[in-house]
Amino acid sequence: MRFLIVLIMASLLVAAVFAADSYAARRLLRADPDALPADPTLLRFAVRRGRPLFEARCAVCHGASGTGDPSMGIPNLTDDDWLYGTGRPAEIERVIDYGIRSRNPKAWSLAIMPAYARPQPNPADKNIQPLKPHEIDDVIEFLMRLQGRQAETAAAARGAGLFTGHGGCYDCHSLDAKGDSAIGAPNLSDAITLYGDGGREALHMSIAYGRQGVCPAWVNRASAASIRELALYVYSISHPGAIQHGY
Amino acid sequence: MSIQFHIRVRFNMVIDQEPARAPWRDPSQISTARSFVLMAAGVLIGLVLAGYSLFTARSATTLFVPAEDVALVNQQPVSRADYLALLQTLYGVDLRHATQEQRRKVLDDMIREELFVQRGKELDVAATDPDVRSALVNAVELEIAENAITSQPSEAALRQFYESHQDRYVSEGVMRVRDLVFPASELQELLTEPEALKRAIDDARTLARLNGRDSGKTKDEEFYFAAKIHLGDELFAAARDLGDGAVSKPMQLPDGVHVLDMLRNKRPVPFSFAAARAQVLSDYRNQSVDKLKSSGESFLRRRANVLIADDLR
Repeated sequence: MRFLIVLIMASLLVAAVFAADSYAARRLLRADPDALPADPTLLRFAVRRGRPLFEARCAVCHGASGTGDPSMGIPNLTDDDWLYGTGRPAEIERVIDYGIRSRNPKAWSLAIMPAYARPQPNPADKNIQPLKPHEIDDVIEFLMRLQGRQAETAAAARGAGLFTGHGGCYDCHSLDAKGDSAIGAPNLSDAITLYGDGGREALHMSIAYGRQGVCPAWVNRASAASIRELALYVYSISHPGAIQHGY
Repeated sequence: MSIQFHIRVRFNMVIDQEPARAPWRDPSQISTARSFVLMAAGVLIGLVLAGYSLFTARSATTLFVPAEDVALVNQQPVSRADYLALLQTLYGVDLRHATQEQRRKVLDDMIREELFVQRGKELDVAATDPDVRSALVNAVELEIAENAITSQPSEAALRQFYESHQDRYVSEGVMRVRDLVFPASELQELLTEPEALKRAIDDARTLARLNGRDSGKTKDEEFYFAAKIHLGDELFAAARDLGDGAVSKPMQLPDGVHVLDMLRNKRPVPFSFAAARAQVLSDYRNQSVDKLKSSGESFLRRRANVLIADDLR
């Protein structure tokens, strides 16, 4: 009889834990994702469950710590520089849901970096014309100067003209080259580089041969709860104090 | 054959019975009432769990809106993530900052859309509307290709792909070339040793004497593809093989005799695997997607019953 009572109690305990988890999962899904960082309990719950999901699905590219790999153009998720959006949980969740250039109709895929050394820099946009080799060099000098590095003055001035002129770079990266996170165009004026070390060679590869990184869409391959937990985990690694302080 | 069961039975001899304790509360005594209560409780819990599973399973939800959705329209879920995205797109606000009216409007729009989609299915709109057909084709292709897009190929697979398609991963060649044109009558004069020809075209007076001029087809350094467009296939083919400072043989073309003076020729260089990796990954995925699409189409064709009109067989 005592064994039966212990068994019942244990079952009730398991059921209670399951019910509590289920309740928390439901609260997590029903909450406004951007409001969740202010709820340390739910955030902790999501981060605890999101971590193994990240390790299973995202770490293969972004690395177990989420720091990415500039040699392959994989963004660092632990800093506060966001290529898409501003790092709000809802924006992170949208990237996980629909991906980037994932072929999902709802993916972020408005812009690609054209390959200016190819006859058709962007097959989807016939208006973008190739640049000449020296024009690419000029744009590189302009970007080097913009980042406060040593650059050839005359070439940089010509590059500035190309950037805001027929090169069409301003169209995505904006006139001040600070980028546009609404379309995933990186800020070219800071020291954070998506591809390589930001040196002339890496810039040449980007401008001459283009870039179009892909992040897969998980909306049909993971539950809504998993995606939200994953989004909050990514939020937590980019906001190290979030769990302790709740923000 | 016989089977023997040995059952150990323990008798608890009650010596000093406590009359105050009701039999159903005493676990050492058999109580019919307790048995019925426990059985009823078990049945009740079982029914509750079965009902909960039945009514909340994703595919069979009938009573409750799942937490990840904002509504069910004829059992079809309206996703919460889509709701939040639409709220953001239409009003630029998140759920916290959206007014009641904004929330209701977005929800209403989504329910309306779902109702019309469902009606569209009933009416088989895809049979007649080319946009719907095209969207359906894209959606099915995406569904077929999803595995290839989501999976991450191994480095070994990528490297093998790179090695078997190395011609794709080369830099664009760059050349700076002068295209000099002479009248056809000067051909004999130009048929000399390359060194002599080089000296002749470098000397402005000799160039003038031979009525030579720069065609102006190329200016500055150009990528190979641009030089090919500007020079034409024949001249470009000759130019591509010239080294820095070399001149071509005179080439008779309809507009005169051409001599190419190569100032600089930077030939295409293969990219290292590391430099080409992003492109290799993209090409590898595209190839996998194409393969999956093709096998998906084959499968659909195999299981389909397609009859073709006599005159088109």
